[in-house]
Amino acid sequence: MTIEPTNLTAQLHYRAAGNPPSTLPDAAVSNAFPGLEFDFRNIWRRLLEGIELHEARGFVVSAPDHPSLAGQFLLAVGEHSMLMDVRSPGEPDGQTFMEWSNALADVVADNAGQLVACTFTADDPDGTQVVELRVRPLFVLSEATQSPTALIDEILAQPGELTQSLCSPWQNDYVECACYYWAASRPDFVNVQATAGASAGEEWLEVTSETYEQLFRGWQRTLRFIVGGRDGGQ
Amino acid sequence: MAASDLFERSAPLSPDAHLVDSGGRLHLLVPNGNRLYDVDAATHAELERVLGRGDGTAVAQLLTRLGVDAPDYVDDEPLLAPPVRALSLAVAQKCNLGCTYCYADGGSFGGRAASMQLDVALASLELLFGDVGAGERVNLTFLGGEPLLNRPVIRAATIRAREIAGERDVRVSFSITTNGTQLTEDDADFFEQHGFAVTVSLDGAGAAHDRQRPFRSGRGSYDRVIERVMPLLERQRRMQVSARVTVTPQNLGLRETLDAFVALGFHSVGFSPLLRSPAGAGELGPQELAEMLDGMVGCGEEFERRVVAGERYPFANAVNALREIHRGTHRPYPCGAGAGYLGVSATGELAACHRFVGDEEGALGNLTDGLDGERRASWLHERHVHRQEPCRSCWARYMCGGGCHHEVIARGRPACDYIRGWLHWSLGAYARLMRERPDYFAAPP
Repeated sequence: MTIEPTNLTAQLHYRAAGNPPSTLPDAAVSNAFPGLEFDFRNIWRRLLEGIELHEARGFVVSAPDHPSLAGQFLLAVGEHSMLMDVRSPGEPDGQTFMEWSNALADVVADNAGQLVACTFTADDPDGTQVVELRVRPLFVLSEATQSPTALIDEILAQPGELTQSLCSPWQNDYVECACYYWAASRPDFVNVQATAGASAGEEWLEVTSETYEQLFRGWQRTLRFIVGGRDGGQ
Repeated sequence: MAASDLFERSAPLSPDAHLVDSGGRLHLLVPNGNRLYDVDAATHAELERVLGRGDGTAVAQLLTRLGVDAPDYVDDEPLLAPPVRALSLAVAQKCNLGCTYCYADGGSFGGRAASMQLDVALASLELLFGDVGAGERVNLTFLGGEPLLNRPVIRAATIRAREIAGERDVRVSFSITTNGTQLTEDDADFFEQHGFAVTVSLDGAGAAHDRQRPFRSGRGSYDRVIERVMPLLERQRRMQVSARVTVTPQNLGLRETLDAFVALGFHSVGFSPLLRSPAGAGELGPQELAEMLDGMVGCGEEFERRVVAGERYPFANAVNALREIHRGTHRPYPCGAGAGYLGVSATGELAACHRFVGDEEGALGNLTDGLDGERRASWLHERHVHRQEPCRSCWARYMCGGGCHHEVIARGRPACDYIRGWLHWSLGAYARLMRERPDYFAAPP
């Protein structure tokens, strides 16, 4: 018996032969960040033709055609800035990188297929550099119509790539989500010593300034889990 | 395919599956998500056998075996207080025509003729823009009666809405439905400037229209409407001017009407069967609905030929049906009435939609005291398609959504065979066009 999806909802519900039910989006336990089935961020690595980005940051991992970009950070794609203003009393002109997938969602919607002026950091700490790069469409284009189908383009996600970072899913989530994801088992403020008028303790939120690499390698030390009522590292 | 064939082939055998033969290819529609699949002959035969037995468990087991079972795309939960993003203002509850079937009973909805004052229109804008965020869209529609009998309020409300939209970075679109008799050259400029979707009620070319849509004096209105609409047709760029045809037993020659209006340059032409009028005049019975379905299929077959030939043929019913089928749109309601869309009466009463103006059935509060959350919650609960009969056992329920609330509450569901027959034909047409002109579905909506 053969059965082929025709319209868009049927295509989206398509399950490849041999794949388990959890490969369908509606059955998967996952979110935009690394879940238990796939790490969605991997699709961003080759979004811009000619360079490869880190899966979770706008860091240029390699750029054979544009050597000056290697090791730099992506700041903007056309009109879409990767940064947003974050003002606080101590830092009235502060800026921070937006969450990666949210930063790129508008780029996909507005610029797919287009050649766009992209702004990067430069070796000169006060300078930037602008290079025109083409934004790849997220979805496979139909050969017949050149319009998007419901399938993620294989150029962006080759077999295995969506799952390759699942060796450390919760470390990824930890860095991505700071204090907004973890449940009560991870309070933000621990080892609290109440004193008159103030309290002192360790703020785990600071851990998010660690890099992925540091967290992957030293999670026991970095996160100081409570084991048997004592800090794990003690 | 004749209407009688379509009625038979589209009969609801199961709420969970429906089979379509598009001429050479066989298809399975899974209503849960309105997913459409091509199936081979063996699969089709197996499905046909199981559907014929009327055994729901066996149907479910077969769908699972085919790998097309899925969690419910539409659950039993009603929408909870969705944001209002579209309003229609009954700016003039009066009319200069005396149409034989008017749902608004001559424009005044069975009450006294009334015109909306500007303060009511401006208060409506506060409701429309109240909780809207930057980048979102809202729609403002002007209806009646004949809305152009209160032109100053239309103009002022449009300009004010534009200003608010500019201040808040909101995209606002405008629509108006008019009988066309009051249109002026200046209206054409104004509607073009603000990108209005203008719908003109036209029930046929010439005599057919005059029979159903005379002036109050009894004189036909067709020549006057066409004379007044022509400047709009010539000027439309941002503006879109469409013809809406209400079909009664008196104007069943659909193809002739469609071609006449396409030739005049309308952006689109759509047909609606008259299922309910205040005195029952002009309502279509089973025989006439069969005749109308034949007419719709005739128009649809021409639509298919034109699309294959790469020509524009704006038969709105087919354009919309095929777009929804392509997307697999699945809805728990037939429209946004009482949800994202509300009607405002001339005196500021809120109703589920423009048809429920002055009707206690669809009353949902007023501009002064605000939207009645309790009544609205009850409306959305009661109107969910899972609570409608015989919709719950019908394969077309998430395409049709249960039918126009206003017609259903007043007259029940006399047109299910017609609706299913049209959707069944449309599914086949979709499958054929996907093979022959897939690029048609790539075009922007």
